[in-house]
Amino acid sequence: MWRTSRFPALWLLPALVPVIALTIFPIVQALWTSLHQVMLLFPGEDWVGLDNYRNVITGEYFGVALKNSLLFTLFSAPLVVVIGTATALFLNREFGGVAVLRSIVLLPWVLPGAISAVLWVWIFHPSWGVINSLLRRLELIDRSIPWLSNPDLAFLSVAVAHVWTQLPFTIVLVMAALSTLNKEVMEAAELDGATSAQRFAHIVFPHIKAILVVLLIYNALTAFTTYDIVYAMTGGGPGTATTLLSFQIWKESFSMYDFGAGSAVAFIVVAISALLIVAITKALPSDLFADA
Amino acid sequence: MKRRSLIAAAAIAFGLIAANPAIAEDITLEFTVWNYSLDTIQDNARKFEEANPGIKVKITDYTWQDYHDSLVLRFRGGTPTDIAYVGQDWLPAWAAAGFLAPLDAAAPADVLDDLKKDIAGFSLSDMTYKGKLYGLPYYADTISFIYNKKVLADAGIAVPQTWDEVMAAAEKLKASGMEHPIVYEFDQELPNFFDAFVSQVYGRGGDLFDSEQKAIFDNPDNAAYKQLDWLVQAFKKDLVQQETHESKIIPSMNTGKHAFTVVFNYVLAAMNNAAEQPLAGQFALAPMPGEAHAALGFTKFYAVTAQAAKDPARAEAAWKFVNFMAGKPYTVAKRWAVEKGLGFGQVPLFDDPDVQAAWNKWIDSATLKQQVATARGGVWTEWTSAWTAYFRPLLAKAMVGEASVDEVMRAGAQRWNELREKMAKQ
Repeated sequence: MWRTSRFPALWLLPALVPVIALTIFPIVQALWTSLHQVMLLFPGEDWVGLDNYRNVITGEYFGVALKNSLLFTLFSAPLVVVIGTATALFLNREFGGVAVLRSIVLLPWVLPGAISAVLWVWIFHPSWGVINSLLRRLELIDRSIPWLSNPDLAFLSVAVAHVWTQLPFTIVLVMAALSTLNKEVMEAAELDGATSAQRFAHIVFPHIKAILVVLLIYNALTAFTTYDIVYAMTGGGPGTATTLLSFQIWKESFSMYDFGAGSAVAFIVVAISALLIVAITKALPSDLFADA
Repeated sequence: MKRRSLIAAAAIAFGLIAANPAIAEDITLEFTVWNYSLDTIQDNARKFEEANPGIKVKITDYTWQDYHDSLVLRFRGGTPTDIAYVGQDWLPAWAAAGFLAPLDAAAPADVLDDLKKDIAGFSLSDMTYKGKLYGLPYYADTISFIYNKKVLADAGIAVPQTWDEVMAAAEKLKASGMEHPIVYEFDQELPNFFDAFVSQVYGRGGDLFDSEQKAIFDNPDNAAYKQLDWLVQAFKKDLVQQETHESKIIPSMNTGKHAFTVVFNYVLAAMNNAAEQPLAGQFALAPMPGEAHAALGFTKFYAVTAQAAKDPARAEAAWKFVNFMAGKPYTVAKRWAVEKGLGFGQVPLFDDPDVQAAWNKWIDSATLKQQVATARGGVWTEWTSAWTAYFRPLLAKAMVGEASVDEVMRAGAQRWNELREKMAKQ
């Protein structure tokens, strides 16, 4: 009896141990930390209940970081999916040089976030940046646009850079979904006189909608928890213009030495992320995955 | 009998080797640095290894932006670290947290006393916590006011002596077509962002804290309050170009499109480097504007970690390394000064002919001496580092018009006083 019920579990141990050690344990540890005063400056780790949560929520930066994170997610996640899908549709055609183009669009994927950020800092540089230089040559501006030092523009600039970094993954997945599309159906529709828009609406979109939903959720979560590009491009600034919740976790923990508060922000991010997933999936038709 | 003799001889040999770990096995010191001139650091370490057989040095480097947090993570995680670059503003928190060990745990008292006599006052204060010395200077410098001589001469503008004069000069230059007369290092995550602000406040002769370390800068008559207001006006009038790092200020100033900046002196050395910069020679140091003309003096130093201090052999090796890098005859400190223009806390180097010859190429020694003489150290407490992380984004918010000077100064002062009281209760 023992052998039949427990023996398979033993075989799972090599997989379970790293998962528990690297995932479950840190989560439990972080939860414990969020309920204690764990500050570098002050010895002891006293139980403080929900004080850390109360302090960060009523603090100077939480409200604006939450607002920025939600705006950032609402702006960038749909944009990544829309641009990624359009690009995948374009690259799904056969024309001269398409193989090279398909490789080029994957470039942002191979760059680490910090390198991408440095690249975009130079692109947006007020004096030497490509964008201002181009706008000057086209005589559209006569003064430098402070892309990263104006609070509103900085938010937009970081979001654009983030979208750029996330596009390849979306393009690859949509292209993979498109490759399973029945070409005969497409050809038949074309012969029957269906326009490109009609073919997309009635054949392509229903075929790829499930993967688009998955990508929307994935990109929403990525945007909501993004950190590296913000840190390297603006450091959350100017002021609090690009301060996101994920950035605030790091800031509370390692700059302000308050690991309890940092863990509390982390758990709030987890809770909001879970709500985001639920909200997106609830908003979708229940039979979405049925035809996929 | 023969066998017994052999065993006894082996035991004696083993005992002798064990008593001298340097002979028994090589010690590899873990040394963490930020990556300024990494090749020079590595070369210095190699020279140390040649002079100290049996001791190896493994260098781990981080960017300046990542250094502080990476080190906190290393210390918290127990990653082996023996010697580290440390900033004066981090010392109280790191020493109180038990990350660092005072030098007297590893160094002979008479050698330390002798070295202390040579170190500049503000620098000694920067490296001292609760009466104990925690390091020797890697470099010590002031955050200074730099201007373009040619730009001012062409515009018929005298070197500004006060912040009002800087504003007037910048407005005049802007009116004559210079888009942004002032370049400002603007990365609110860098300690320099706060330090540069403090230096400007010292120029006005002000203080942010009273003698009991209570925050006093939320008073509109306080020099810090006035200086933030000055910065807000300069940003509002679009006189300022932001640069995210000092390395970008060097080429920016060398475009000739800007007249003023506030940076470390070694940045001036790079600006005036004829081999690399087109406008080298045009840039000069001026006393920090304001009634007092004082500036913030600061020290970055080599410190021995508490981890290293626990092991006597490792502590001894770590001290040897620190002494090699910063102790007499100050060879390494002199190298940094001559080759890179880094300032120093070891006062005798001011009289070194090689240092004088090298520095006269890029800075006016008389003005520098005057600035160093009036330099003041910062107020570094256990909570300063955590507080500045909170306060820097607030400063930035005011500068870009997201919050008023009053809101920022009140919030900053309140947070400082809360941390101070909390610390007092511990």
